[in-house]
Amino acid sequence: MGYETTALVIGGGSTGCGIVRDLAMRGIDATLVERGNLTHGTTGRMHGLLHSGGRYAVSDRASARECIEENRVLREIAGHCVEMTGGYFVKRPEDDEEYFQEKLEGCLACDIPAEVVSGRDLRADEPNLARDVEKAIRVPDGAIDPFRLCVANAADAETTGARIETHAPVTDVLVEDDTVVGVEVTHESGPGKRVHISPGTTEEIRAEYVVNATGAWAGRVGELAGVDVEVRPSKGVMTIMNVRQVDSVINRCRPKGDADIIVPHETTAILGTTDEEVSDPDDYPEERWEVDMMIDTLSELVPILREARTIRSFWGVRPLYEPPGTGTKDPTDITRDFFLLDHEERDGLSGFTSIVGGKFTTYRMMAERITDHICEQLGVNERCRTAEVALPGSEDLATLDERMDSFGLRSPIARRSRQRLGSRAPAVLSGTDPNPVVCDCEAVTRAEVRDAIDASGSDLNAVRIRTRASMGNCQGGFCCHRMAHELSPRYDEDVVRAAWDELVRERWKGERHALWGEQLAQAALNYALWATTMNVDGDPARTGAEVDFSAFDAGERGSEPGSATGVAADGGTRGDQ
Amino acid sequence: MAISDDVLVVGGGLAGMTAAVAAARGGARVRLLSHKASTLRNASGLIDVLGTDPESGAPLADPFDGLDALPGEHPYRILGEAAIREGLDLFDDLLGDRYLGSHTDRNALVPTHGGTVKPTARYPESTGSGLASSRERTLLVGFETITDFDAPLAAAHLENAGVPFEVRGVTLPFPGEFRADVRVTRMAHALDEDREAPVDGRPGTRAALAERVSEHLDGEERVGLPALLGDERGEEVREQLSTRLGTDVFEVPMGPPSLPGLRLEDALEAALHEEGVRVESGNPVVGYEGDDRVETVTVERVHREVPYEAEQVILATGGLVGKGIRSSRSGVCEPIFGCHVPQPEDRYDWFSEGVFDDQPFARFGLRIDEGCRPLDGRGETEFENLRAVGAVCGGYDSAREKSASGVSLATAATAGRRAAECL
Amino acid sequence: MSDAYQPDDGTGTDPATANTDPDVSADEYDPVEVFPTEGMDLRPGADSCYKCSTCDTECPVAEVNDEFPGPKFQGPEQWRLKRNEDTDIDDSVMKCSNCMRCDNVCPSSVPLSQMHNTARGLYVEERMDTLSVEYVRNRILSNYRTSAWLASKLPRTANVAMNFGPARWLMERTFGITAEREFPAFATQTFREWWTERGGARVPNHEKRVAYFHGCYSNYNTPEVGKALVRVFEHFGYQVLVPEQGCSGTPMFANGMLSDAKRHAETNVEGLVEAIGDGADVIASCTSCSMALRQEYPELFDLHGIEELAAHTYEALEYLRIHEDLEGALRESEVDPQSFAYHAPCHARNQGLATQAVELFDSIDGVTATDVGDSCSGISGTYGWKAENYDVSMAIGEEMFEHMADDEAEVGMTECPTCAMQMNHGTGYEIRHPLQVLEAALC
Repeated sequence: MGYETTALVIGGGSTGCGIVRDLAMRGIDATLVERGNLTHGTTGRMHGLLHSGGRYAVSDRASARECIEENRVLREIAGHCVEMTGGYFVKRPEDDEEYFQEKLEGCLACDIPAEVVSGRDLRADEPNLARDVEKAIRVPDGAIDPFRLCVANAADAETTGARIETHAPVTDVLVEDDTVVGVEVTHESGPGKRVHISPGTTEEIRAEYVVNATGAWAGRVGELAGVDVEVRPSKGVMTIMNVRQVDSVINRCRPKGDADIIVPHETTAILGTTDEEVSDPDDYPEERWEVDMMIDTLSELVPILREARTIRSFWGVRPLYEPPGTGTKDPTDITRDFFLLDHEERDGLSGFTSIVGGKFTTYRMMAERITDHICEQLGVNERCRTAEVALPGSEDLATLDERMDSFGLRSPIARRSRQRLGSRAPAVLSGTDPNPVVCDCEAVTRAEVRDAIDASGSDLNAVRIRTRASMGNCQGGFCCHRMAHELSPRYDEDVVRAAWDELVRERWKGERHALWGEQLAQAALNYALWATTMNVDGDPARTGAEVDFSAFDAGERGSEPGSATGVAADGGTRGDQ
Repeated sequence: MAISDDVLVVGGGLAGMTAAVAAARGGARVRLLSHKASTLRNASGLIDVLGTDPESGAPLADPFDGLDALPGEHPYRILGEAAIREGLDLFDDLLGDRYLGSHTDRNALVPTHGGTVKPTARYPESTGSGLASSRERTLLVGFETITDFDAPLAAAHLENAGVPFEVRGVTLPFPGEFRADVRVTRMAHALDEDREAPVDGRPGTRAALAERVSEHLDGEERVGLPALLGDERGEEVREQLSTRLGTDVFEVPMGPPSLPGLRLEDALEAALHEEGVRVESGNPVVGYEGDDRVETVTVERVHREVPYEAEQVILATGGLVGKGIRSSRSGVCEPIFGCHVPQPEDRYDWFSEGVFDDQPFARFGLRIDEGCRPLDGRGETEFENLRAVGAVCGGYDSAREKSASGVSLATAATAGRRAAECL
Repeated sequence: MSDAYQPDDGTGTDPATANTDPDVSADEYDPVEVFPTEGMDLRPGADSCYKCSTCDTECPVAEVNDEFPGPKFQGPEQWRLKRNEDTDIDDSVMKCSNCMRCDNVCPSSVPLSQMHNTARGLYVEERMDTLSVEYVRNRILSNYRTSAWLASKLPRTANVAMNFGPARWLMERTFGITAEREFPAFATQTFREWWTERGGARVPNHEKRVAYFHGCYSNYNTPEVGKALVRVFEHFGYQVLVPEQGCSGTPMFANGMLSDAKRHAETNVEGLVEAIGDGADVIASCTSCSMALRQEYPELFDLHGIEELAAHTYEALEYLRIHEDLEGALRESEVDPQSFAYHAPCHARNQGLATQAVELFDSIDGVTATDVGDSCSGISGTYGWKAENYDVSMAIGEEMFEHMADDEAEVGMTECPTCAMQMNHGTGYEIRHPLQVLEAALC
């Protein structure tokens, strides 16, 4: 079987989603394939910082300029994904004054609005900062939800005619006469994946041009095509706090170092991070010291972090790249710039380009460059408009607030729904009645969960990243089953059960790194709710155990001899041994 | 002047309340101190003894058959079968006909809100006609705003588990004008009250509910609804529904807040009152005075400490969930008496990789002797007059085993009796 | 009295112009609210919540009022969902009666009532129109002391005027103060007037001293409770001090009027801390007053000496039970046989004092005190005075009324003056304070 498309994008992270939208907007028939969910790779595993560029203002001014430019663009086109929190580069007494000045000058030189704030004014704004913090530089850092952003890009592309295929890992790259002509994907199905028209089958997707936008995994896809792509994946830990201890991005003002940033993200604060090279982006150790370091080091800036509750930790892998022969030892010194590797020029393999390196904040710009490149190859002459046209959900945000009153939601729930759904909120919220809250921690209603199911099928992890349901302080203890219930009756019971199990497994995975204090009590409660009250672990439907129901108590009436309705067997009598 | 009693029970959950009754019945003057509400209302209200075969992991038909396979540090192995029977006898006596299951040693399989069946030794009367071993055709009814229970899905789940009866589910709106975020307790209250309409021709809540359900009945012999059928007048609510529908009516246990758990709590509180136990709640016990014996325990009353004196002290503060066992990044402890809690040193050894793997944290708690006295790291008693009951004891995984209430009852009956005997 | 309640300026009896009491200042009815924002970020309090919903099951308002979503939503959930600039507190927070039962049951010690109090303050500041009738009404109700002070100048007139039918109808129509309830009678001589006339303390003692926080109600409405306290403590040899004081703030917390409460708190902390310096512990006869001094003050305000005050404050009976052999003293006492239907106020429950009165009176021969159940009385201070809450208030109280009726006692007993009001309103019983019973037994 064959499916033909003009341009095929491999990888459903920010870059891939940005490319497929750009392609679609320029009228090119495009397809995106992703091995897991959208944002399954690095995009879904970052702290969600919308860079002002301040971080690169000393070491890499070109990147800093790109950041502030794209920062402004994203505020315009992706307003519902962005929270303009503002950010600070904070100086403690032991931090270098000279570097502070360099940072300030760098920001100004890169056209990044920056001003110095006294320790006192800083604490008035962020009361949880340590008393001995001296001063800070204020910059327009923000927080951005990478899930929402990717989903919006992909959804817009789909509306414009693109095909988006998740849970479809590339199992082969098709090469004919030194030209890449397409890929073979396997449509995965099963627990927690989507219920698919063609589960378990492979499909050939033939394309005029193929883009490898798989980031840290670019080497793998390159291998399938027979070319070398030398990505140097580097892992970093992020620790999620239960509440926001700060409402602005807090950066430590020093040249480099681990555990130097706190990003207020939605209802949480995310502590980051480390930078350590790994050999395999799918298999690397996740260790206790990394979590401890986040808490202990960042407590120097925000002391209450030491005793605050963390709800989980996760690791991401940066898709770092440097041209062969550069030989940088320390991954923190590898450039954050991106590289467009045209395999025709580089390896004599036409119809194929890889994009590696880069940062999330400039994803749109990267997508624009590579789309320009593809257009050139295909001879298409269309201008990029992704910087001008708002993403779905970000149109007309200004008039939205007044309309939110009409959905009968309590005000914080209405507010959070609006913040997540943006301009889609009225359409999503008006269709479901009654509309109870499914996830209490994150204030996600049934309407929003069902809307996500419409888009992502039976995969509750995809529903989770779209809605944030199960991402609050109980980590799904009270809502995983409620989310699963919303899959019914569209999906059969065995599919619903598998999706529930998969979600619970995923929730447990990250929560393990937070198991002490309040979160251990939470985990013990969740375990009791699932295993004690629901007997999920001993559920005959799950374990397949043959149960002799007649061996159990059928009630006093059921155990009376000759009972008309009871089971035949006597339930045994008390103390009869 | 220290407030003085014979036996002081610290903690007011199932174990604490039962231990207080056992001690009072032994002739002691008993005071029970509880800090906050118990975790009973988080629990389903089912009384498990041992629901899972320790060897195969399969549902266990007779809990007493599984005892020998439990590990040596398990409270059941330490206290023995007689203690479990003593605990159950005490419970049966206290709850009377409000709980069922005492006619047999066998476990019952009770359908839960997750669509699963759950093996348990005693069950509230309200769940009695719902047992999965009975062959009666069943209709499950859920409500639109109750996201915790999806009746059609639960019915399909039960069929996939192989239950020996036909079962169907339907989702209905709950009668009356309620917001979408209405709590189950509010719905239970509405059924309790049953506003004596008919106002402008509308029937009361109970009649309206029966009317809605009956439209969907198709020859079923029993109807299961989420556990919100009244609070104080639950029995009356069920009886009326049953009469109107012409079927049995039963409740499906749910997660927190659990009406069966609340009702059990109320019943036990009444029993405490009956036995003359003095109950004080609202302030935490934060420490003690004494050396080999606990002389007084220290109660913190909003910013100040007040001593309470007793001959015998029973610790019933719960486990990780009840906060009788606490943890930090550096370790796990029992905060009041500083009793020994065995634990792996590295917190990354507190858990296992898979969510339903054997979880070390689930076994956290005190080791006890056959008189329920906590033991230190060398196996010696920590205090001669301190006993530990319920989830503060460790060495067992109540969720995996389905043994929470059984351990609470066995330890409580033993400790309460022994405490009174020592006076 | 109704004159004094005119929200508009100038024409009526303006309390400011009639002001001779230094505690009643000109800005008493000033509609400008300044919310004390420092230290009011309670999001970290959500760290303790593990969502068990125990608080919801214990909330007397949520049980009967569908509009109120319960303390879990109102407290940890609403706070956790907040970003610092969000001020759209859900208006249902005004339905909370501040009974604080949620605090009492939460197994994780989430600061629920502090979250509600603070959110309510924020709501009143950000969302409530300060010219609205509701705002003015709430302001008047919460500043009960001001009204009571005025009424006490002409108690007999006030007693008649306030319960005068047409005036009540008007109050309900214009202010939403329910006409169902009878305003409490004002004493012809306040407690403080009695204290002065008596010449103050009659027992001098440097070793045993207590400073009495009488609050508004014992002063203006039930001075017999204050007198009983003085006589009982003097019986045990205490020197009683009565420092300068304002309102405890309880009605203001419940109405989100935090800056009013803070102003009174400043006076109270100053006077009481001075007494503590003179070797006294602070005692209160009203459980809501002791609750405010002990818990709400340090939670909501940052005032010098506030922690010290909290650490030295006791409820009167609690103090005697800890420091004296009360049961011993009562064994020798003789009283006329009497039965009481006792109700534990929520705020007593909150201090762990719900069972002390019943336990104590059990030890007096001839006295029986029966606990009429652990439900809330439903009035919760000013809450049940609002016309829109009246039905909810009575629905909450229903359980208590039934239990009172079932009990053989014909006299009620409780520590809280507004619970007493509700008990009387629902059953017609006479209601006593435990101190009055103690006084009869001992003095």
